Amino acid sequence: MKHPARIAALAVALVVIVFGVVLALNVGSDPQEDAKQSNLVGKAAPSFDLPNLAGGRVTLADIAGKSAIVNFWNHWCIPCQQEAPALESFYAEHKDDPDFAMIGIVRDDTTGDVKAYVKKRGVGWTIALDPSSVAALDFGTRGQPETYAISPSGVVAAAKYGPMSTTELERFLAAARANA
Amino acid sequence: MKAALGYASVAFGAGAAVVGITALLAGLQLRDAFLLRFGRRCVYAVLIAALAAAGVMEWALISHDFSLRYVAENNSTGTPLLYTITGLWAALEGSILLWAVILGGYLTFVAAKFRKRDQDPLVAVALITGLAVALFFSALMLGPANPFRELSTAPFDGRGPNPLLQNHVLMAFHPPILYLGYVGFTVPFMFGIAALVTGRFGEGWLSDTRRTTLVAWGFLTLGIILGAWWSYEVLGWGGFWAWDPVENASFLPWLTATAFIHSVIVQERRGMLRVWNLSLVIATFCLTILGTFLTRSGVIDSVHAFTQSDIGPWLLTFFGVVAATGIGLVAWRGDKLRAPGRIDSAVSRESAFLMNNLLFAALAFVVLLGTVFPLIAEALRGSRLSVGEPYFDRMATPIGLALLFLMAAAPALPWRATSGEVVRNRLLVPAWIGGLTMLGAVILGARGLAEILAYGLGAFATAGIVRQFVLGIRGRRRALGESRAVALGRATRSNPRLYGGLVVHFGVVLIAVVLAASSAYGANRDVTLKKGESATVSGYTVTFLGSHTSRSSQKTTISADIKVEKGGRVLGTYAPAISTYPNSTEGIGTPSVHTGLVDDLYLTLVSSPGAQRAITLGVRVNPLIVWLWIGGGFMALGTILALAPRLRRRPRSIPSDDLAPRPLADADPDHREPDTHGPDEREPDHREPDHREGVPV
Amino acid sequence: MIKRWGAWIALALVVVVALTVVLWPNGSQSAAARAHDLETQFKCPECEGLSVADSQAPTSRAIRADIKRRIKAGQSDGQIRQAYVDTYGESILLTPQDSGVSLLVWILPIVVLALGATGIVLVLRRNRDEPHLHATEADERLVEREHRDG
Repeated sequence: MKHPARIAALAVALVVIVFGVVLALNVGSDPQEDAKQSNLVGKAAPSFDLPNLAGGRVTLADIAGKSAIVNFWNHWCIPCQQEAPALESFYAEHKDDPDFAMIGIVRDDTTGDVKAYVKKRGVGWTIALDPSSVAALDFGTRGQPETYAISPSGVVAAAKYGPMSTTELERFLAAARANA
Repeated sequence: MKAALGYASVAFGAGAAVVGITALLAGLQLRDAFLLRFGRRCVYAVLIAALAAAGVMEWALISHDFSLRYVAENNSTGTPLLYTITGLWAALEGSILLWAVILGGYLTFVAAKFRKRDQDPLVAVALITGLAVALFFSALMLGPANPFRELSTAPFDGRGPNPLLQNHVLMAFHPPILYLGYVGFTVPFMFGIAALVTGRFGEGWLSDTRRTTLVAWGFLTLGIILGAWWSYEVLGWGGFWAWDPVENASFLPWLTATAFIHSVIVQERRGMLRVWNLSLVIATFCLTILGTFLTRSGVIDSVHAFTQSDIGPWLLTFFGVVAATGIGLVAWRGDKLRAPGRIDSAVSRESAFLMNNLLFAALAFVVLLGTVFPLIAEALRGSRLSVGEPYFDRMATPIGLALLFLMAAAPALPWRATSGEVVRNRLLVPAWIGGLTMLGAVILGARGLAEILAYGLGAFATAGIVRQFVLGIRGRRRALGESRAVALGRATRSNPRLYGGLVVHFGVVLIAVVLAASSAYGANRDVTLKKGESATVSGYTVTFLGSHTSRSSQKTTISADIKVEKGGRVLGTYAPAISTYPNSTEGIGTPSVHTGLVDDLYLTLVSSPGAQRAITLGVRVNPLIVWLWIGGGFMALGTILALAPRLRRRPRSIPSDDLAPRPLADADPDHREPDTHGPDEREPDHREPDHREGVPV
Repeated sequence: MIKRWGAWIALALVVVVALTVVLWPNGSQSAAARAHDLETQFKCPECEGLSVADSQAPTSRAIRADIKRRIKAGQSDGQIRQAYVDTYGESILLTPQDSGVSLLVWILPIVVLALGATGIVLVLRRNRDEPHLHATEADERLVEREHRDG
């Protein structure tokens, strides 16, 4: 073979160019943001069957036909505490709407602490308990707080990992409605 | 004022680099001795500028000058002095400054070492290349990674460094030592480019940079081991290597550099593999830049990921330029480098080194592919996937075992060619030791395939290493009648490269054995304990004595006192803790480790006392971990030994430091030139009675 | 012949015995071992790069408990993996699957290794075929000078 070094060098150059292009395309991306995108958006919401604070059960069927906001939280996580006022004012705004539902699912917490918190802050929406994180895993949560918008037909319209503001909650509700 | 001073220093350094490059280029063109000397001296100015800038930054950090953005983000009034000083390399801009300082240091060393040779075009082009790299890093600091950026209003207190960077003294050692390795590879790269450009393809550039390459390799090895130690002792997840992209970024140049250290021996001995060695040296340097890009640009998810900044495109472009230059030069000159030597036989030291290089190159490819594959997959089909430990372990294990085998077999292979019989006889006893070790491990209960192969090959390699030492000592005793101790000392000092290399290999064997054992054994349990309660894991009994909280200006720490007993004996009280820092919501766990020769007991505080006053304690038993650090120590020791000057038996008429190009008359076959030949086994071989059957020695 | 190779044949037997013991199929893994294996294959969703087996994050511990539950319920490894991929996306698996684009990451290294090995074999073969010429004194000196500085 004549000029083997040259041929090898050009082959390597080709690989490096392809490689460089792939890297260059990715320079603007943020993998941590990407990782936080939920996989469930656009798919059917997973069913769940959890106890609520009053002693009854809460299931997916309870929100069928309504535009729902499902919020995973617990009382001690700091971003959850940060978004609590936004959740409360958002709920106060929409609670009288018959097509609206809101459920808070608690994970990694004790029933006593949750009850005390709910009583202290006057939380009005349904609270479900998920001590074994079954629903949390079914929803593909990455931590808390994590909020999902579910359309009346049971499709996940939007999802976010992190504390919500009232504006974002409104957007979620609109997305759920639009997805009917 | 400090910001202006610092920025001016950086600018001065960039200017000195430009002036130096221009002077050297002009000096080369015009063959002007003064310009060449002046250009060389500009290197000193580059170092002074970098030191000045770093000095200003340290001054700003220690005086808590929060008008500088870098200080406000990485320091606070509550930060202890040690972590204030190490704040210099706590974040992106500072780490570039550290790089510039170390690069200045290495360039100064080169400029000083070759001051008598500054008329040599090889040296001049090398300095031009080095100054160009220094110029790039100065440009980074003048542009996107400016450490001296000011804030319009200085806050009252800074944010403090990342909590993970201020809770262990290793922070003072791991980054600088790692950089001393990383940046050091610029030196062989400089000379490799110079050799290609000037057409001086012989081994001159190799001997010129051999020691520096080994020093850089040694520091990089030590830096990686310290990183593993940090991961284990500080991060608290109980492991020491996660195939994290940043870890891989430091591992990649180590792999190509190790391949280079081995194949360089072939080039010195036989003049072969020149193109390959030049490519390795260029690849090593490219990988240091690529690694910096991967970890600084934020394209890859990692524990180490620094804040994202605009530095990505600059680094990627520089990588492209360096790669293009290197590949272009090789493509242009490569075929004129064809070696005069030939490989005579497949059973020879040369082909063993070739195999060694193939395996290291393959491993480097695997690590690189696995690290960037998430990006490739995303480019090809839109969704990201992960490549983690299972992939790397599965691919790296067979390659690692093959390398262990080579480590065991290669020292017994002579150069050029030999009969299979000679090799078989030399390897018989070590191979038996390996085989019996394998069987012994199986009898004792080991059931992993890779595991017992690692034990067997490790024993094989160790027996081979011991054999080399024994031969060396025996040879001297027979010839010179020295006592064993004196023979050992003199043998190693008359061939430090060989024996240093053997000691490094022994360190590698220790590490391989630990890797094998840790994948097969170990326990991991979470136990919930109220005060006074105990639990037992793998023979260790842990009792929760109580917890307490301590506060300082730097952090608030909750620690739990755990009494540890084994076999009835109390081993002590250990205190795993969780610390919270003022500007962070997450707690940072600090593990508490009882280190033993056989295994470590590793305690972490998973959750602090809740309403029930019970803690959840993570209990892990990790086998043989201390031998990792001992193995690393052997590798460092071996490197130092390999760097030692050779003890000469005859006084040389030409001093070994004279590096002027030699006229042909000096090529006296009886005169061994210092670094171009490694006599290693030749003497002991001739004294081996088993060299040939029936033929008197 | 046996005399020359005897020791090596005996060694080979020892090694074969050891390997046989290790490779002998010994029934299915215990549930705990299966759980641990699966845990090393999932990435902790809220950490950066750690596996579920290594991480102490609440989500990881929940996943570990969930894996044990699923194994008890009789699900196969493949089913458990698929369930998690459906919910979390493919990036939750730390090992790329062997289909589609992911196949590349397994195949390319083998290809590279094969190419390299072929290259070495070709180099060895070519060297053996070339005739060994005899060099004169002048030739030797020329070679020596080439060695020194090209």
